[in-house]
Amino acid sequence: MRLLEYPFFRNALLGGAITALVCSWVGLFLILRKEAMMADGVAHTAFGGIAIGLFLGIDPILSALVVSILAVLAISYMRKLGLASSDAGTAVMLATGFAGGLIVISLAGGFNIELFTYLFGSILTIDRGDLVTVSSLAVITMVFLGLFYKELLSMTFDEQAARLVGIPVAPLSIAYNVLVAVTIVLSIKVVGIILVVALIVLPGLSALQLNRSFRGTMITALGFGMTSTVLGTFLSAIYDVATSGVIVFTMVGIFLFVAAYRRLG
Amino acid sequence: MGNTKEASAVRMSRIKRKEEATVPAPVLEVRDLDVSRSGDIVVKGATFTINEGDFVGIVGPNGGGKTTLLHAILGILPSKGRIRLFGEGINRFRRWERVAYVSQHAINFDPQFPLSVRELVGLGRVRRGNLGRPLRKEDWSAVDDALGAMDLTELAYRRIGNLSGGEKQRVFVAKALVRDPDLMILDEPVAGVDATTMERFYQRISDLNQERGITVLIVSHDLTAVFCRMSKVMCVNHDVHYANITPDLDHNELLRKGYGEHFHFVFHEHSCEGVFPRP
Ligand SMILES: Nc1ncnc2c1ncn2[C@@H]1O[C@H](COP(=O)(O)OP(=O)(O)OP(=O)(O)O)[C@@H](O)[C@H]1O
Ligand SMILES: [Mg+2]
Repeated sequence: MRLLEYPFFRNALLGGAITALVCSWVGLFLILRKEAMMADGVAHTAFGGIAIGLFLGIDPILSALVVSILAVLAISYMRKLGLASSDAGTAVMLATGFAGGLIVISLAGGFNIELFTYLFGSILTIDRGDLVTVSSLAVITMVFLGLFYKELLSMTFDEQAARLVGIPVAPLSIAYNVLVAVTIVLSIKVVGIILVVALIVLPGLSALQLNRSFRGTMITALGFGMTSTVLGTFLSAIYDVATSGVIVFTMVGIFLFVAAYRRLG
Repeated sequence: MGNTKEASAVRMSRIKRKEEATVPAPVLEVRDLDVSRSGDIVVKGATFTINEGDFVGIVGPNGGGKTTLLHAILGILPSKGRIRLFGEGINRFRRWERVAYVSQHAINFDPQFPLSVRELVGLGRVRRGNLGRPLRKEDWSAVDDALGAMDLTELAYRRIGNLSGGEKQRVFVAKALVRDPDLMILDEPVAGVDATTMERFYQRISDLNQERGITVLIVSHDLTAVFCRMSKVMCVNHDVHYANITPDLDHNELLRKGYGEHFHFVFHEHSCEGVFPRP
């Protein structure tokens, strides 16, 4: 394991593992809320934010964060007003954000190489500064999920029943969606905009197939997410192929393996 | 464990209160209540009082407005008129932990949802008062008590999606029971269940009513169960008719107001014999 001697590789593993942990946890709730596609929508909207950041010369992650949070709030707002379901609202924001990104890029005179790293991820370039950003966002998200675990579960299972017993469903829902946006933006560095939805959805989907209790499903999802990210990063370094691609392929591999195991066992 | 003892002491005092009081305290008072849905009045002029310890069967044809009436009582639907819960106007009422509700659609959850029976019943302990804090030991011992009362101990670690219809219904009643409510509102929780299971189910609810002193409102299409087991009957078909169940109640006269003038329900005192064998 020579690889571990390189600081950039250790950063990649650590950053990847933290991101995977948060993504699989947030993602499990997202799947159960039947809002999985929101992840994809927000990621594409973040593209607009990144373009703006590059154009204005500010940290693209920051501008992406702002734009994604606005997008998530817009989606909830559209649903609340009855303008669009979560699904349709997501489609609207996806298109708006991505189109906005394209316009900004053309104004700036076309694609540049940095934009590509955001589209496809660049886990091997994670530096100490990135690690600090990723970890602090991850801590915020995990503290929220840890504190409001039972309320989130309760309202995910039956929103009306949760409201009746006095759980503040609307504020928690908005806070959760904002954290979805945060999670997605922090994952962009790892797998990129196009594949981030995989990191969010695949671990939970694989774990759900095992028919376990909620606790069991959650732990399994976190395990799957972290394992495939770490394994994928190693494999990609060994065979020298695109890391984000290998990470996602490892996740798909686990998903298929679990599916096959369930059919046979 | 100390807490469970405390809870049972509360329960005992609740039962005592019920025995001592000459005039039982009203749990739910409804006056001149109109409830509309999409502009049409579905329930009109409902007026009735439910007292502590009552066991009320709500009957009436499909679409008669039973669920609508319950939703108004729970504050889910807006309404015109007056509703008082435990002596307090519904708009001011805050002690919702005293009321437990099982919706008609509770059992139609996504069968793939990853929850064990024990986890789901545990969600019944989630309330305003413990926001952002994990459930404690005493919450889980209350969960195990509720599972025991509903005869679900064996199924505690089963996935909820794998249960039979009757088992699911018991699980949701356990989830309501675990809140240690004073008023339990059950909307048709026994649809599509075989006769024996249904009888045993009503027996359990009756025990909760008698032994724990919980006031119960239950929507039911099983008229025999209502007239044999319960103390009051409410017939809902836009109008609401409410009566004590006594030997001299003319049940057909009441039921015809809800089900139409040709309705006939054969029922004598001996209809109940053997229907609910007590152990
Ligand atoms: N969401 C809704 N919007 C508009 N009308 C509704 C809605 N839900 C119910 N209704 C109407 O209100 C009336 C009463 O419905 P409700 O569900 O209260 O009846 P119910 O007595 O509970 O019937 P069931 O025995 O089938 O459960 C029906 O005419 C129904 O069509
Ligand atoms: Mg109904």
